Amino acid sequence: MTGLHIYITGMGIISPVGNGLDQTRAAIKQSKSGIQPLTLFPVAQSDPLPVGEITESFDTGDVPRTHNLALVAAREATVGAQRSPDAIVIGVTTGGILTTEENLKDGYTDPQLFAHHSVGSVAEHLAGQLDCKGPVITVSTACSSGTVAIKIAVDLLNNGRVKSVLAGGADSLCRLTYYGFNALQLIDPNGAHPFDKNRNGMSVSEGAAMLLLESGTQPPESAIAKVLGVGLSCDAYHPAAPHPEGAGGIAAMRTAIKEAGISHSDIDYINLHGTGTFHNDLSEARAINTIFGGAKPPLSSVKGAFGHSLAAAGAIETVVSALCMQDRLIPANKGCEVPDPDLNLDPVLKPSAAELRTVLSNSFGFGGNNAAIILGSTAKDSRPFTPTPTADLAVAGCACLTGSGDAGQTLDALSRGQDCRGILPDGKISQKLSPNAVRRLKRLPRMGLSLAIAAYEDSGLSDAPSSVIFGTGWGPLSETYDFLQKLLESSEELTSPTNFVGSVHNSPAGQIAIHFQSTGANITTVGDDYSFEQALMTAALLSGGMADDDTMFVIGADEHHERLSHLFDRSVSLDTGRSDGGGALCIKKSGADPCPWIRIRVSFFERAESNLQVVSSLVSQLGGEEAIREKYGLVMPGIPLAYRNTGEKQLKDFLSRTGFVNPVFDYRKLTGEYASASATAAALAVRLIQKGIIPEPLGGGKPCRLEGRGALVIGLGRYVTAMEVLP
Amino acid sequence: MEQLIKELKLKIIDTLNLEGVTPDDIDMDAQLVGGDLGIDSIDVLELVLMMEKDYAVVVKDRELGAKVFVSLRTLAEYIYEKSPEVSR
Repeated sequence: MTGLHIYITGMGIISPVGNGLDQTRAAIKQSKSGIQPLTLFPVAQSDPLPVGEITESFDTGDVPRTHNLALVAAREATVGAQRSPDAIVIGVTTGGILTTEENLKDGYTDPQLFAHHSVGSVAEHLAGQLDCKGPVITVSTACSSGTVAIKIAVDLLNNGRVKSVLAGGADSLCRLTYYGFNALQLIDPNGAHPFDKNRNGMSVSEGAAMLLLESGTQPPESAIAKVLGVGLSCDAYHPAAPHPEGAGGIAAMRTAIKEAGISHSDIDYINLHGTGTFHNDLSEARAINTIFGGAKPPLSSVKGAFGHSLAAAGAIETVVSALCMQDRLIPANKGCEVPDPDLNLDPVLKPSAAELRTVLSNSFGFGGNNAAIILGSTAKDSRPFTPTPTADLAVAGCACLTGSGDAGQTLDALSRGQDCRGILPDGKISQKLSPNAVRRLKRLPRMGLSLAIAAYEDSGLSDAPSSVIFGTGWGPLSETYDFLQKLLESSEELTSPTNFVGSVHNSPAGQIAIHFQSTGANITTVGDDYSFEQALMTAALLSGGMADDDTMFVIGADEHHERLSHLFDRSVSLDTGRSDGGGALCIKKSGADPCPWIRIRVSFFERAESNLQVVSSLVSQLGGEEAIREKYGLVMPGIPLAYRNTGEKQLKDFLSRTGFVNPVFDYRKLTGEYASASATAAALAVRLIQKGIIPEPLGGGKPCRLEGRGALVIGLGRYVTAMEVLP
Repeated sequence: MEQLIKELKLKIIDTLNLEGVTPDDIDMDAQLVGGDLGIDSIDVLELVLMMEKDYAVVVKDRELGAKVFVSLRTLAEYIYEKSPEVSR
């Protein structure tokens, strides 16, 4: 098969400097700034801090601000498209939190008001509005989210699974980030001036940018630019501070340059992450100096004008880079007056004309999450991507946590006909964790770390996994709640920096990386009840670029929070009991044939809404009725309680179509309700296949031998997903 | 001053959730940040918050912070000098 190129064929953008491509172009040419004192919500301070706020009206419906921003950009990006995108992958860090903050402040407790709280609900809103069947993936890796989303989109296209993907990022201003970054003393009261001698912090901002990406061997008529390569890395150094020498930034840029098949001297312009904080700019400058030495191309950060829009930033700057290639223009490093001589950079201070054929753009975030992307002009020859069909993942080790305890205790309970609902005490979860290492961690990061340690121990591998892929429906709820609660109680005067750093969805994955020194990709996916499936799909895509002896963690976990879980998760609010937990896999490339390990793969991921064919598509994707009867000795349906009726209909349809007569383990009835229960199910499926026997209570009254057959873990409800676990 | 130091030791342990650390483990003149206690930049900001709340003392910039948080002694001296709440 000929190599594929990845073309940007549509773009949309909304930011504090303008709504749409035309306004953005004009703003870049005039070096217009969008930074001004906050007006979006009232604050206790007498002088609100400068932020990047979109002041013109852009509402598109009765959904939170981030959802609206995302849709404005998505509509512009797809305006010329003939059909809906095959998939959506976007970066989001705070979802509907601005609305949630107001509801919590007003003391509202109707779950309906929080229906769009989840970080994953933004992508889902887009999928509904654009009629995209899916897969739909949300990346939440803090400030690198937008660029990481593009990486996953590129891998989906290379995989041949889809032909077009809408990729990007969106975030609105909210109290959490406004006060959170302020508590970290990372906001410049005079507005960001990146790389300046007197820089003193960033300006938090908002916006959205979307790119329509299509794969092909020849540029389509609408092609704007090509994506040549994307590199990811993790500092594995500190939850909030960047690596002082820029080690992770260097690794991400080098990986992107290698993937693009170019030399660093081919790069005509670098769009820097350049937030304006003392440490980010220092770390990035060191990374740039290490790679480019004395031959640096022109470079600038646009965050002095656009502010730092967190998950949107990487996508916004990719769009800005592509626009600048079209317009033969280098954007100004707004805000910088006297470049800091210690940084040894020479940022472009005024918009300048230049031919740009190859552009590098950096995005770095909390948790040491780094991403670098390289764009090329369509006119210039470039190395095509090698298509990478999905490989099975081999499970070297697995673990789970439930109300009953670890994997062994859970299986014991299930074998005795008991359920494994409930909430394990914090002390039990933290048993294997050193008290001082986890003194700042609340429930979810502790669960994540415990799961990772247990899965690694189970694997018996000598080298720790280099990548961490973590799925969570709701993120660290304890930290989020404690942060907002302290803020409200103190009349918005006191906020805990520790809780803010811990509240980001990717903090558990960052902690795991620090513990295991995992400096490879570090990705957190968020999609309500299908978050773990998103993580596993992402892991499978990334495994294409993994060395044969490399390993990765794929983990899913959710904590129960007494005050928030029942407001956010409708299945939890309907459940009579309270449960939480998760599962972890230590993954290798399956490589050897026959594979000595149990294998796992995500074979199906589609939206069920207005998709009447979804169950028949699932059956045909799995090889048809007969193959399903022969391949699987067990079906494990995951039906969230809020979607019981829909899910049971889908299950009945699946079972009757396939004539499946082996055991069906409707696992949520026994695990209880939490978003990543499917991660627990996947780990249990691995254990059952290892044992080769399904215990009596799960086998419908009699023990049932699997006899070389596998288990099929299907997600039902709003989405239909399938994870095959095969011996 | 001695009373203030005693009080600060307990507050540091409590604020930063330093498990297994006793007041006697905190050396007055030892390096406070990046030393044996494992205190880092986020912890420093947590202590800044504690100082604002309990002593009405504000440390707003990085350069000042670097001077104040050298050791427990420098921290106590700064609070002693600036705080309206400390009885002298």
